[in-house]
This record gives sequence, structure tokens and C-alpha cells, in this order.
Amino acid sequence: MALEQFAPAGVMIIIATILAFIILVISRIFGPHRPTFRKNAPYESGMKPIGPAQRRVPVRFYLVAVLFIIFDVEVIFFLPWAVAMRDLGVYGLIVMGVFTLMLIVGFIYEWKKGALEWE
Amino acid sequence: MGEFNVWTSLPAVAPEIGLTILAAVVLLLDAYLPKEKNRARNIAFVSAVSMAVLALTPFIWAPAPNTSELFWGGMVRHDALGQLFDVMILLAGAITVMIAVDDSGVGRRGEFHLIVIIVTLGGCILSSSADLVMIFVALETVSIPLYVLAAFRREDNKSSESGLKYFLFGSFASAILLYGFSFLYGLTGSTQLTAIAAGLNSEIVSGNLVAVLAALLMVIVGFGFKISAVPFHFWTPDVYEGAPTPVTAFVSVASKAGSFAVFMRFLIEAFGLPAVSADATSTLVVIDGQTIQTFWVNLLTVFSILSMTVGNVLALRQKNFKRLLAYSSIAQAGYTLMGLAALQAQSAIGQDIAMASITFYMFMYTFTNLVIFAGIILFVEATGRENIADFAGLQRRSPWLALAMTIGLLSLAGIPPAAGFFGKLFLFQAAVEANLVGLAMIGVLNAIVALYYYLIIIKIMYVDQGIDEDKPLAMPRSYAWVLGITSVVIIILGVIPTPIFDLAQQGAAAVRLAMGS
Amino acid sequence: MVPLWVFLMVSAALFCIGVFGVLARRNGVAVLMSVELMLNAALMNIVAFWRYNNPTEVNGLAFAAFVFVVAAAEAAVGLAIIISVYRNRHSIIPEEADTLKG
Repeated sequence: MALEQFAPAGVMIIIATILAFIILVISRIFGPHRPTFRKNAPYESGMKPIGPAQRRVPVRFYLVAVLFIIFDVEVIFFLPWAVAMRDLGVYGLIVMGVFTLMLIVGFIYEWKKGALEWE
Repeated sequence: MGEFNVWTSLPAVAPEIGLTILAAVVLLLDAYLPKEKNRARNIAFVSAVSMAVLALTPFIWAPAPNTSELFWGGMVRHDALGQLFDVMILLAGAITVMIAVDDSGVGRRGEFHLIVIIVTLGGCILSSSADLVMIFVALETVSIPLYVLAAFRREDNKSSESGLKYFLFGSFASAILLYGFSFLYGLTGSTQLTAIAAGLNSEIVSGNLVAVLAALLMVIVGFGFKISAVPFHFWTPDVYEGAPTPVTAFVSVASKAGSFAVFMRFLIEAFGLPAVSADATSTLVVIDGQTIQTFWVNLLTVFSILSMTVGNVLALRQKNFKRLLAYSSIAQAGYTLMGLAALQAQSAIGQDIAMASITFYMFMYTFTNLVIFAGIILFVEATGRENIADFAGLQRRSPWLALAMTIGLLSLAGIPPAAGFFGKLFLFQAAVEANLVGLAMIGVLNAIVALYYYLIIIKIMYVDQGIDEDKPLAMPRSYAWVLGITSVVIIILGVIPTPIFDLAQQGAAAVRLAMGS
Repeated sequence: MVPLWVFLMVSAALFCIGVFGVLARRNGVAVLMSVELMLNAALMNIVAFWRYNNPTEVNGLAFAAFVFVVAAAEAAVGLAIIISVYRNRHSIIPEEADTLKG
């Protein structure tokens, strides 16, 4: 595919960027600035915000996320094997079987230790 | 390499396979054993005995004599050096589990023993790896569980902080190391160490001297951190003091021994050795007329002098026993670096002694450090204090404990009949063989300075009056075993060092021959 | 095709940002993120070198895959340690963790 085909898109990106800057600068210079308390409130409709915006997340989410990452990343070893499965033959199958067995042992451990319980 | 055959390749990783199975078994035991009083003790017993038995496997499936063959597609080497390092790391794991059993914070939880097994597994792979991928994965298999172990006492401020510090500095060093590795791979198109040496010597790298030196520097920074050499030592005292004591013991021996083994292999295999005689061929990597070895030998000489001096001088004014041992371990890393610098020797015997002296030093250092830490754990568990002054009058409270710790301290100081004497002697000999007489002199001077603070502790234990001398210390059976066995090993190594040293020298000769120089 | 040095420049920039972050940031999580940047810089190097210098062999890809997994494990363990420090001290700034001094 030739790069020239994307030329209009490139021109578009450049023009859009420049235009955005021009609009921002013009409105900064010529626009009126009369801030009031009500305008600066988070919701101009009159709702009062309750509590800080950055709420603490329960640590359980973190535990689930970490367990997910550990098991999710292992897929990177399955994918190359799946692609070359026929070339690797029985040997590849046995090796991946051992690998899967290790993962399953880890999974049993995490299950029995109650890491998957929400409460 | 030839045809890949699984069955002939298996003996090269026999201890690693055993450790993997052991880890799975311990994992299931920890998940399924019913909750009762002796639960963690049973798990610890299974782990320690299994690791001690696995320490025999390197001898059962020994490498063919005088060979250093590549297995698993060039990933690992199977030779006598790797064999010796495997044995010392496995025994270190077994002893750590034994001395952790009665430590209130760590040994009562089953997963502690599991993580020790994983670190041991990483260390065993590390000491025989011959490929950048393998080195990096094994190094992280050692480091990541050790971060967890350092922070193992979650409710204790000191422990979790030391874990945080260890983790932040450790992962920083690993990342620098990996960046260096990526350039070595990029410049040569290979991850196998000997293939990298061939690649660096070929035409394609000419003109890239700066890139190679930068990559080498990054790798040295990474390894320098792992072996806690000055100027990459600043994490050591804090981590040693804050981590639970069994973990400190393990960090100071397993991670250090494995890192030294692989550092030595990396420098030899990727950057070559000088020719051993006039008609032999040199395997040294030469880029744009510059010999890379000159660069790293000079750098490591400087690091060696700095580590010895800074470690010993700062150790002089420590009051906390664990901090003192941290600085002492920095100094010991300095002595061992002397062996690495001695790899520039131009004779076969010089190169062999350089490699063998590093191996022997790490071998005796493993037992020496573990006996002292076992004593500290026992003492701290009983009294709750870990300052050196608190050890006053220990001889009258527990004569055997004082004797075992004295043997350990004498070994660290390098006084016969303890093993440390021959450890230092071999290193100095290697330095002299390599025309590094000045370095050897600085080493001797440092050993004299170090003598002072080691002997002070012995004096405190035997002469000084303690506040509660009338209360004898109880000695649980597991500690009695550990203290007895390690002390006897230190004395045996100090009286007849030749069997181990000869084996190390054979392994060194095999590595040298495999390199083709 | 984009020349190799462009990738190396980007990776070097990533690496430098990471080093700067480790040295300058005081927040434990930020330091962890910076370390991940450094690892990713190395990863980018490896993949770029593989693609340009010897795409016929798989060693570079295997290297990258293992680095990827190790980085994930490191991040998981690091976050766990940071959380345990936070629970003890309600702060994740390493310098404020100063129980160990002397």
C-alpha cells in the first residue's frame, strides 16, 4: 500500500490541529472572562458534589486484577505452541501438558486459600 | 549441539526438575493439610529433607568428567562448577528452612517454605545458565520471590519497608541489566553466550565499540547490584536489617552465590579468555583493536578495592549485628571480585585457580554465613534484642552456641582452622597468578582491618559481663542440628579443602577447554 | 520502511524517561511505573532488532515473550509490597519509610 493514499488524512490531521489551536487562542484573547462561584462549581445545574472525586477502591478488586494478570499473561506461551502445534508433535503436547499442570496446581492453591471468594 | 535428545538432556537439569516437583507437592500440602499445631513444621520438614536429598542429585547425574557441554538448545551448561553451585544453593535452601521453623514471624506459615524452594530453583538454574534469556528469567526467579520474603512480616513496619526498598532497587537494576542484554542481542543476533562472543568478534560489530562497552557497563551495574558490590551496595544494610533474619541469611548466600556463578560465566563466555600459552589461540573479544577484557578487568578491580575498603571501614562502627553482617557481606563480595579480575591470567593454571577460588569462596561463605545467622536467630528469638553488645557473656549462657558462632566469625575473618582461611588464600593466590599483586596486597590489608571487628565480637561473647548471664538459652533440636553440621563442614573445609577445590579446578578447566582457549 | 535507528531512539527515550522517573519520583507506584517503562524500552529494542536483523530466527521473539511474563510477575509482586507498606504507614513514599536508618 502506498503511503500517498494517506496524504489526505495527514493534511486533515494537520489542519485540525492548527484549527483547534487557533480557536483556543482566539477565544482566550477575545472571549469575556467573568467567573462566578456558581459557574466554577463542578455541576452548573446546582447539584452539590458529595465527597472527594477520587474514591478509594476496595482492595479486593486489586487482588482479582493481580490474579487475572498472572494467569492471563501465561497465554503468551500457549499462542506460539498453538501456531506450531503440528510441527512440535507429541513432544510439544507433553511439554505444554506439564506447563498446564503447573498452572492448574497454582490455580488449585489459590482456590483452596480462598483468594477467589469475594466476601 | 547436534541432535536434540530429551533423555540425554534431562540429567543436566535433574535438581531443577526435582525442585519443581517439590514445589508443586508443597503447594498442594499447604492447600490441603488440615489446620493443626504442627502443620508448618511438617511442611518445613518435608521441604528441608527433600532439598538436602536433592543436593545429592548433582553427584548421581554428574556431568561427564572434564566436560562443559551445552544442553537444551544451548540454554544451560552441565559441568562441575554448576554442580558445586547447585549443591551449595540446595543446602542453603534446606538450612534456611530449618532455621526458619522456630522464627515466630515467618516459619509458622507454610508458604514461606514454598517460596524458599522457588528461590532455590531459580538459583540452581542461574548457576548453570548459558543464554541471555535463561540468565534473565533465572535471575528474576531468584529476585522476585526474595522481594516477597523480605516483606514477609506484613504487620511489621521494618520488614515491609525493607521489602519495598529491595524491590525498588532490585527491579531498577534488573531493568538496566535487561537493557544491556537487549543491545548484546541486537549487535550479534544471538542470545547464546558463546555465539555472542563469536558475533562480537566478527565484522558486523566493528565500529560499534561504544555500544558494546555501554551494554557491558549496564550488565555489570545489574550484576553489581545483585552481589552488593560498592557503589551499588546502598540497599544492603537496610534490607539486611529490616528483613526477617532467616530471609537475610538466605539473601546473603543464595542470591549472591548464584549471581557470582552466572556473572563469572557471562564474562568468560561472552568476552573470552586470554590464550594460555604462546601457541594457543586467544578467545578474547577484540573490537576495533580494543580488547574488551581490559575494560572489565580494570572496572572490577576498582569495584573490588572499593567494596573491600568501604565494607570493612563502615562495618567497624556498627552496633546492630545484622547491619554489621551486611557490611561484612559487602566486603566479602569485594574479596570475591578479586577472583573475577584474576580471570585476566595468561596461564591455564591461573585461569583455573581464578574460577575455582570464586567457587570455593562461595561454598565456604554459604556455610559460614548460615551458621552465624542461625546463632543470631536463636538469640533474637530468646531475648528479642539484636545489638552486638547484647551478646555479652553468651559463652556462659550457651557454650555450644558461642562456639559455633566463633567458628563462623573466625571463618569470615580468615583464620585457620576455619574454611575462610583457604578461601582467602586461594583468592590471593589467583590475584598473584594474574599479576594483580597490588590488588592482593590491598586484600590482605583489608583482611587485617576486618580481623578487628570480628575478634571484638568473639571477645564480647567470651569475656564481657552480660546483664542476664544466669539465664541459659534453650537450644531447639533443629538449631542444634544446623549449628552442628555447618560448624563441622566449616572445620572440615578448613582442614582438608582439596576435595572441593580440586573438583572446582576440574570444572574450571572444563569451562576453559569448552571455550577453546 | 522506517529505519531501525528510529526504534532505537524511541526505546532510548523511553529508557531515559524511566531512569529519570526512578530517580526523581518519590511515590512508590510511580517508581514502579518507571521501572516498567525501562523494561518496555528493552522489550522494544529486542523486538526491533529481531525484526530488522534476523527475522528468520525465533530467539528474539522468545526472549521478548519471557521478558513480558517476568515484567508482569514483577509488577504484581511490587504492587502487593507497596500495598502492604501502605497499610502499615498510610504512605507509599520510600523516603518517608525511614524506620531503617543508622
